[in-house]
Amino acid sequence: MEKLMSLAAQLSRYSLRFGGTLVLLAALLIGVDVILRKFFQSSIGGADELAGYALALGTSWSLGATLLDRAHIRIDSLYSLFPRGLRLFLDFIGLFLFLSFFGLVAWRGLSVMEQSWVSSSRSHTALATPLIIPQSIWIIGLLILIFLGIILFVRAALLVWQGEVAAASRAISTRAAAEEVEEEVRFLKERKPKRMES
Amino acid sequence: MLGTAFLILIGLLAFAVPVAAGLGILGLALEGIYSKLPLNMALGEITWATSNNFLLVAIPFFVLLGEILLRSGIAERMYNSLILWVPWLPGGLMHTNIVTCAMFAATSGSSVATAATIGTVALGEIQKRGYSERLFLGTIAAGGTLGILIPPSINMIVYGVLTDTSIPKLYLAGFIPGFVLASLFSLTVLICCLIKPEWGGKPIPATWRQRLKALPDLIPPIIIFIAVIGSIYAGWATATESAALGVIAALAIATWRRALSIKMLINAFEGTMRTTAMIMAILIAAYFLNFVMGSIGLLKKVNDLIMGLQLTPGQLLFAVIVFYVILGMFMETLSMMVATVPIITPIMVKMGFDPVWFGVLIVILMETAMITPPVGINLYVVQGLRKSGRINDVIIGASPFVLAMFAIMAIISFWPELVLWLPKLLER
Repeated sequence: MEKLMSLAAQLSRYSLRFGGTLVLLAALLIGVDVILRKFFQSSIGGADELAGYALALGTSWSLGATLLDRAHIRIDSLYSLFPRGLRLFLDFIGLFLFLSFFGLVAWRGLSVMEQSWVSSSRSHTALATPLIIPQSIWIIGLLILIFLGIILFVRAALLVWQGEVAAASRAISTRAAAEEVEEEVRFLKERKPKRMES
Repeated sequence: MLGTAFLILIGLLAFAVPVAAGLGILGLALEGIYSKLPLNMALGEITWATSNNFLLVAIPFFVLLGEILLRSGIAERMYNSLILWVPWLPGGLMHTNIVTCAMFAATSGSSVATAATIGTVALGEIQKRGYSERLFLGTIAAGGTLGILIPPSINMIVYGVLTDTSIPKLYLAGFIPGFVLASLFSLTVLICCLIKPEWGGKPIPATWRQRLKALPDLIPPIIIFIAVIGSIYAGWATATESAALGVIAALAIATWRRALSIKMLINAFEGTMRTTAMIMAILIAAYFLNFVMGSIGLLKKVNDLIMGLQLTPGQLLFAVIVFYVILGMFMETLSMMVATVPIITPIMVKMGFDPVWFGVLIVILMETAMITPPVGINLYVVQGLRKSGRINDVIIGASPFVLAMFAIMAIISFWPELVLWLPKLLER
C-alpha cells in the first residue's frame, strides 16, 4: 500500500507540472499573439481557444494532486472544535462526498467525450479543433483524480484500522487539524518514558 | 425550498465537507428533491464549458505571476527600497507596509499573495526596530487585502464572469477606492500611534544617496503594472491577454535578475496549479449549483422573497452589508462569492444599483472577510509566517483596520461617483 501511495504522490507531482507547463505555454502563446497583432498586424489565430483548453486540461490534471496535498478548501470554524475522532470521521465523509461528486463529473464528462467522438464534433472556430483531442486528455485528468482519491481513501482507512490515527489524520484532515493531532501524539510520546521512570 | 437548501448548505459546510463538494452535493440534493428532470445529465457539459472559459484563464496566469514575483526576490527588493523612504510620520515602517502592499497589489490579483509576499520580507523588522508587534502584523494582514481591490484582481474576474460585468470596468472602478482605502489604513496607523507613541518604533536612518540608489528596485513592479493594466486601457489586450503579458514580463525580469531556473519554475508550477485546481473545483460546482437553482425556480423564490419585503434600496444595501460581514466571519471569500453573488447581484441591479459599483462593494466586503475571525485567510497567512505567538495577536492588530473598511463602504455608498467616475471616463 505504501508503495502504491508513493507512486500516487509521484504521479500527482508530474500531473501538476504538466498542468503548469500548459498554463505557461498558454501565456507565452497569448503574449506572442498580442504582440504580433499590435506590431505586425497578423495573428497566430486560435490562441484564445488553445488557452481555454490549457485551463481545462491543467485543472483536471491538477485536481487529484490538490486533493493529496489537502489544498481543497474546507471551512473549519466548527470542525476545529470537535474531538479528534469525530474530525477524522468527517474527513472520511468529506473525502467520500468529494469523490462522489467529481466521480459523477467524470462519468458525465465521459459521455460528453463520447458524443464528440460519435458526431466527430469540431469547435466552431477558425481552428475547427476535433473536440475529441482536448476532451480525451481532459477526461484522463479526471480519471487520475478518481484514482488518486480512491488510493487516498483506502490508505487512510487502513491506517485507522492499524491504529495509526496520526498518520491517517496527516493524510486526510485539514492541515491545522493534522498539526494539532501530531502535537498531541508527540506530547503523549514524551510523557510515556517519564512515567516508566517513576 | 429555501429553508431546505439553506440547511443542507450550512450542514455540509459546517461539517467541513470540502467547499467544492458541498456546493456540488447541494446541487444534486436539490435536484433529487425538487426536479423531475435529470439535471445532472448536464454536469459534463457544464464542467467542460466552465473549465475552458477564456475569461477564467486569467486566474492561473495571475497565480503564476505572483509565484514568479515571490520566488525571484522582486518583492523583497521592492520592500527594501521603500524602507529607506520611511516617512517621518508616527508609525514609520507601518506606513511603508501599507504603501508596499498597495504597490504590490497593482501587480497582483490576490490578497493572499500580497500579504504572504510583503509579510515574508517585512516581519523581520518588528523586533529590529521596536514596533508594536500586533499593529505591525495588522498592517500586513489588512494591507494585503488591497490585492483584490487594486487591479488586477482575481475576485473581480470571478465577479465579472458570474454576473456578465465588464472586467476592465471593474478594474478601473477599483483604483480610487483602493487608494482611498490605503490612505485610510495609513490614517489608522497614524491615529493609533498618536494615542500610543510607544507603538511607533525607531526611524530608519538613510541618506539621500542610499535612497536614490535603491530606486531602480521599484522599476520591475512598475513594468509589470504597465504590462498588465496599461495594455488593457491602451486597447491592446483583453483582461486575460493582459494577464499573459504580466507573466511574460515577470519571466523576463526574473531572467534579467538571474533568478530563473528550472527548479524555481517547477516549484512555481506546482504552487500555481494547486491554487488553480482549488479555485476551479469550487467554480465548477458553483456553476452546476446555479444551474440547478435556476431550473427548480429557487432563484426566483429568493428574488420574490426579498422583493416582497418592500425594502428601500438603502435598507436593502444595509441588509446586504450586514449579511456579508457576518457570513464573512465564517466563510472563505471565493466560496462565499460563488455561492451568493449570482443570487444577490440581479436583485441589487433591479433595485437600481450599478453592477460595477456593487462589484467593488462586494470586493471590499471580501477584504473585510479576510481579516475578521474566526475564518480570515489573511489572518492565517500572517500567523503562518510568524514562527511563534498566538493568532490573537494578528486578530487584535487587524481589528482597527476593519473600521477603515467600514468607513470606505460608507464613503462609496454616499459618493458612488468615487467608484464610477473612472469607468465612465473610459466610456466616453
